Amino acid sequence: MIEDVKKSSAGLILLAWLVVGIPLGWGVYNTLLNSMNLFQAAPAGAAAPAVPPK
Amino acid sequence: MALLSFLDRERSVAHPGYSRWLVPPAALAIHLCIGQVYAFSVFKIPLTQLLGITKSAPGDWSQSQLAWIFSLAIVMLGLSAATFGKWLEGAGPRKAMFASATCFALGFFISYFGVIWHQLWLIYLGYGVVGGTGLGLGYISPVSTLIKWFPDRPGLATGMAIMGFGGGAMIGSPLAIKLMAYFRNADDVGVAKTFLVMGVLYFALMMFGVFTIRVPREGWKPENWTAPVKDQKLITTHNVDVNTAFGTPQFWLLWVVLCTNVTAGIGILEQASPMIQELFKGAIGPVAAGGFVGLLSLFNMAGRFFWASTSDFIGRKPTYFIFFSLGSVLYYLLPKTGADHLNSVVLFVTISVVLLSMYGGGFATIPAYLRDLFGTHHVSAIHGRLLTAWSVAGVLGPVLVNYMREYQIAHGADKASAYQTVLHLMACLLVIGFVANILVRPVDQKYWMTEAKSQSREGAIK
Repeated sequence: MIEDVKKSSAGLILLAWLVVGIPLGWGVYNTLLNSMNLFQAAPAGAAAPAVPPK
Repeated sequence: MALLSFLDRERSVAHPGYSRWLVPPAALAIHLCIGQVYAFSVFKIPLTQLLGITKSAPGDWSQSQLAWIFSLAIVMLGLSAATFGKWLEGAGPRKAMFASATCFALGFFISYFGVIWHQLWLIYLGYGVVGGTGLGLGYISPVSTLIKWFPDRPGLATGMAIMGFGGGAMIGSPLAIKLMAYFRNADDVGVAKTFLVMGVLYFALMMFGVFTIRVPREGWKPENWTAPVKDQKLITTHNVDVNTAFGTPQFWLLWVVLCTNVTAGIGILEQASPMIQELFKGAIGPVAAGGFVGLLSLFNMAGRFFWASTSDFIGRKPTYFIFFSLGSVLYYLLPKTGADHLNSVVLFVTISVVLLSMYGGGFATIPAYLRDLFGTHHVSAIHGRLLTAWSVAGVLGPVLVNYMREYQIAHGADKASAYQTVLHLMACLLVIGFVANILVRPVDQKYWMTEAKSQSREGAIK
């Protein structure tokens, strides 16, 4: 007897990933924006001003 | 209760042709929601101003009173995961995820009344106890299902789900801030309505997970995949009962592995913002430090996916070998990057993000390690019990860091150099984890489930 195989559609899989991907993407975007504050304060490769020896 | 019969394990068995790629989004839906717990701190200031609105007034709650809400939630996470893990194995992931969603949302709703009636015990009970129970159930509910769907890539599968827990705070924090700003007015800080809306939103997203999750049919395996025939010493084809596993040295060695890795990670997380500001005084201010904390969150999340997936190729034990050997060296070097030594912000940030990626990776790789050692039958239940290591680390990490720092400062050390002792202590902790990982050996066959017991367990999920 041949088993009735109903394959999940690619659209359904995409939709399922969008349901979780959109909020996650929004969260990552917000966090990245926040992280930019670090790079604006300390440009890559730059060293902090030296602290005078105590 | 016929209405709820759709939650039964039998009703969640996948039909032929059901794509396994629908299962990770179901698991992610749960973890993205419960990961909100790490964003609870955004409510702390508003909750101290419920009466005063613009500032704390007499009768308003203090920060130290509110700190118990988060602690209770994390303790309940560990306790409920340990307690309900075995029930979950029989009841199935759908029922457990539904229970998790109900508890988590109910926690917000009870807390809503706690805010409007200004009764702190209701928030302890709601978000802390009831919501915390939902956290534990939700955390472990999709683990064994994912491992069964992805026998070829268990690390990848559990890494995807547990990555969601890391990402949950990234959603929960801006969402709560935006909602509180929307509901805020001259008489209300907006917390109560935010709790209500978040409870509804999270329940809806978790229900997506409940309806989407499926367990594979008996005997299912991925197309064109055969179980490796090559004998791999640390990957068993047998199963160990949760109660038996609890008595094996392997369980306790992994408990130490998780506890030390988490404690060390918390050492950075707990102090991230003040540490970067004090090590680079004058160069890094509070705003930039906030950016640093955000960057750590991103790498914590990414590390969960990256390291757990990598462990599928290099093995679990070598993965933790990297965490503990590289981690202890990096913790030792971290204070040397400060302004009074190498004076490199870039190096400090680079080392910190690598360490945080390994902290997240430690969480995400442990379910696959458990599966390798104890088999798939009770892996969620065993994972649940192992999470008590997290509860202990959640208390131990901050206590160690704060106590050591205060002790150093009280004995004349300046704020920047006090970090050196703390971070070196974290390096020592990782050495303990390193030894525990090295000692992990395959589980002795005297602990294996009998074939008959394994079969009867399989029969229950046909």
